[in-house]
Amino acid sequence: MHPGLEWYLSLSAVLFVIGLIGVLTRRNVLVIFMCVEMMLNAVNISFIAFGRAISSATGQVFALFVITVAAAEAAVGLAIVIALARRQDTVDVGRIDTLRE
Amino acid sequence: MENFLWVIPAAPLAAFIITLLFGKSVLKSQAHWPAIIGAGIAAVCAWLTFFQVRGLNAGEALNNHLFTWMNTGAYSFDTQQFKVAINLRADHLTALMLLVVTSVGLLVIIYSVGYMHGDGGYYRFFAFLPLFVFSMLMLVLSDNYLLLFVFWEAVGLCSYFLVGFWFRRESANKAALKAFWVNRVGDVGFGLGTMLVWTTFGTFTFTDVFGQLEKRAGIGGDITKGTITAICLLLFCGAVGKSAQVPLHVWLPDAMEGPTPVSALIHAATMVTAGIYLVARSWPLFDLSPGARDVVAIVGIATAFLGATIGLVQRDIKRVLAYSTVSQLGYMCFALGVGAYIPAIFHLMTHAMFKGLMFLGSGSVIHGMHDEQDLFKMGGLRKQMPITAYTFLIGALAISGVTGLAGFWSKDEIIVGAYHAGYPVIAILGLVTAALTAFYMFRLYFLAFEGTPRYDQEHVHPHESPATMTVPLVMLAIPSIVIGALVGIPPDKGAIHAFLGKAIRSDLFESHGSVASSTTLTFGVLSTLVAVGGIFLAFAMYMRLSPNPYTLGDRLHWLWTFLWHKWYFDEVYHVLFVKGTLAFAMACWAFDRYVVDGAVNGVATVVGRSSGRLRRVQTGFVANYALAIALGAVLIVGVYLIARGDIFTQLFG
Amino acid sequence: MSGDIFFAIFGGLAALTSLLVVLQRNPTHSALFLVMSFLNVACIYVLLGAEFVAVTQIIVYTGAVLVLFLFAIMLVRMEDLPEMYGGHPVQRFVGPILGLALFLEILAVILSTVPLGAAGPFTPENITALGGNTQALGRSLYGDFLVPFEISSLVLLVGAIGAIVLARPDYTASRDREIGSLFTISLGHPQESTIATPSVYTVRRDEQLILHAEEETETAGEAIKR
Repeated sequence: MHPGLEWYLSLSAVLFVIGLIGVLTRRNVLVIFMCVEMMLNAVNISFIAFGRAISSATGQVFALFVITVAAAEAAVGLAIVIALARRQDTVDVGRIDTLRE
Repeated sequence: MENFLWVIPAAPLAAFIITLLFGKSVLKSQAHWPAIIGAGIAAVCAWLTFFQVRGLNAGEALNNHLFTWMNTGAYSFDTQQFKVAINLRADHLTALMLLVVTSVGLLVIIYSVGYMHGDGGYYRFFAFLPLFVFSMLMLVLSDNYLLLFVFWEAVGLCSYFLVGFWFRRESANKAALKAFWVNRVGDVGFGLGTMLVWTTFGTFTFTDVFGQLEKRAGIGGDITKGTITAICLLLFCGAVGKSAQVPLHVWLPDAMEGPTPVSALIHAATMVTAGIYLVARSWPLFDLSPGARDVVAIVGIATAFLGATIGLVQRDIKRVLAYSTVSQLGYMCFALGVGAYIPAIFHLMTHAMFKGLMFLGSGSVIHGMHDEQDLFKMGGLRKQMPITAYTFLIGALAISGVTGLAGFWSKDEIIVGAYHAGYPVIAILGLVTAALTAFYMFRLYFLAFEGTPRYDQEHVHPHESPATMTVPLVMLAIPSIVIGALVGIPPDKGAIHAFLGKAIRSDLFESHGSVASSTTLTFGVLSTLVAVGGIFLAFAMYMRLSPNPYTLGDRLHWLWTFLWHKWYFDEVYHVLFVKGTLAFAMACWAFDRYVVDGAVNGVATVVGRSSGRLRRVQTGFVANYALAIALGAVLIVGVYLIARGDIFTQLFG
Repeated sequence: MSGDIFFAIFGGLAALTSLLVVLQRNPTHSALFLVMSFLNVACIYVLLGAEFVAVTQIIVYTGAVLVLFLFAIMLVRMEDLPEMYGGHPVQRFVGPILGLALFLEILAVILSTVPLGAAGPFTPENITALGGNTQALGRSLYGDFLVPFEISSLVLLVGAIGAIVLARPDYTASRDREIGSLFTISLGHPQESTIATPSVYTVRRDEQLILHAEEETETAGEAIKR
């Protein structure tokens, strides 16, 4: 428990940025999705670290909520990915451009 | 005093609304009934009001306050509240006008039943006529300048509707627009005059304005003569437009494009006399301003003379009558100018009768001739349409001023008045005009009703008009004969003078002393002589052809051309105003096209092009949007850091 | 001292495995490295004294979500092709730069700020008095955050239903529609009366429209062929 708050926050930042880079550079929608989960995890670290730093359970409560929402999101998101793959026959975000104009 | 003034305008208004709502769907060919009933109620009430008013003393009036129209706070400490009431007021002058408007209006509406029979816009016609009657009645019933102005415009609007009644005809549209626009010129003056009345007197109400004059406009008062003259001239501007005086007379002859009953009611008997009414109503102001009165007199005599000369050569039966109306309005106008207010109103009344009669007669001719208006394609119609011919003859005799008929008494009084008030030139010109009037009126009569037919007898079969048209003719012919003698004898002291004298108590005329009976007699003989002379000349020229009018026209070709072109008024106006306006409009158009539109289109082009570029941002690829979100996050945190400002001291300091 | 070491180990591993998730070509491999990453993060939670969250993390993420991912990977036709790896050149170039910039900015914020609010009631002594961190969390969750907690269960329910509806194959959807129309009692007018009998004009117009559409399709097809 010796590392200071800033270390945890830095770790959180590292994970978050790695997730972000994954989202930005990968083309497989499933991998992008994994990266999003990773970013959520990074945020959870921040929550818990902050919570501990101010002696509050709220950080953990929020982490729990994030996990809950992430679970729901994963279910819906993966369902969308499956429907998308069935319809467009691809999971390449570079080939899904139906949002255009 | 108990009264029911509000019924008088309300009845035609109700008729208008009913006809407008149900005319097309329910009433159809019976659409005239609401108008007739409405005008009938108005006429009955007008007569009742007349008798009520007759019992009033000088300066008294019936008042009927309906509601307060505007009531605003004072805009500064030294002025009054701006308060205008819808208040009906009937004094002796109004009562007389009410009689004229309602009785001529009723007869014209009855006449129209026959004249407009089978017209496509039948219900429309019988909606607009009561609307006009309503507006005109409100005009004469108004007790203040602002309300008068409103209904002044309303009658102009009705005139516009009715002149352009056959709106499929291009000439009718043009005439309606011309009437409207030329009237606007005068109405600007009237509007300014109304404003000046407010700023000067702080009220619009006639009685209040005139009541202040004695204290404030006399010696030591704070209102200068110049202000009074300005007000008078501005108000007279409106009268010039509405009553077709020189130089704004050009709209009235063109307004003959409307149906003939409209010409009779609006452009002969009532609306065009609104200007005369306005000046007569404002007599206390004009009494104080000799300069303004001189202008009125000069404009009036110029109009009378000009109208009569143009009337000499016109071929269109309605145009002759139109120029005759212009000329007669000129008579009334210079009568006002010389201070003979009562003779002016007297002439207004008699003129309404005989000119309404002649217009309706001309309508009957046009109706019987199947829409032929050219005098030189008529002739000998007396045999086919005797009632029309004889009633028309009565009208012509009346307007010519033959002794005993209505026109004689009123016109003679005007000329005597001008002479008596110290305007001998105007009196002489008035006499000359009277001769011209007699000549062109009988030229019209002889060309149309006497002599041999000049129309195509195989195809055109003139016939007498139905009873709904001839009965109003007879009804108007009777007063055309007797009304002058009935109320105008003895001259200057007849019943009408006593009656109107209670409302128009101007002592301007009396200040010259009473008219010598020798003067009256002399002018009576003179005007009879010129009238008979004119009639005789017309008889000689158009029945005996000696002198032959055609060779005379060739010999005096320059004069004929000048008159035929109506003194070149329209041409000059065309060059001065129409072309000038067009040139200005073209310049504005060019400015709009190249500068304003150029700027707008330029902006649009720039926006369009740049958005065409920006459109490519919307690639539809989710990854690009994610990139944009990340960029946004970077920027937001960056802005936060920069906004904190002390980031470097915190980090490295 | 031991905290520092464990933090370095787990933190380093978490970062490394996360990086590998991004860098792996094969999505299955990515998923497996994601498991590693989550486990390490769970360890970080333990270091932070949040044992309950750590366990939840392992059960929910590594247990449920990752299995879902693997199912999805199997259900979707695998396109483990080179072009699936890495993005559009611009993306591949700009993405890391933006990420780095954000990282530096966040770091700057972290290092330059002491963002502590008022101290809460759950000091280590109080937690010990309550019987442990999980008990403290339970009190907070069922006390202050009761309503949000209940709502989060609704979120899960809706998420489950949504997933089922979305992932349903098309043919079952169309069959359900047919069954629904068979057993639905219409409260409106019969369908025949709502659709007006087509007039000659509309029929002709429709024919023209169809012809037009066919022409267009043909030209489009030719264009594709070319």
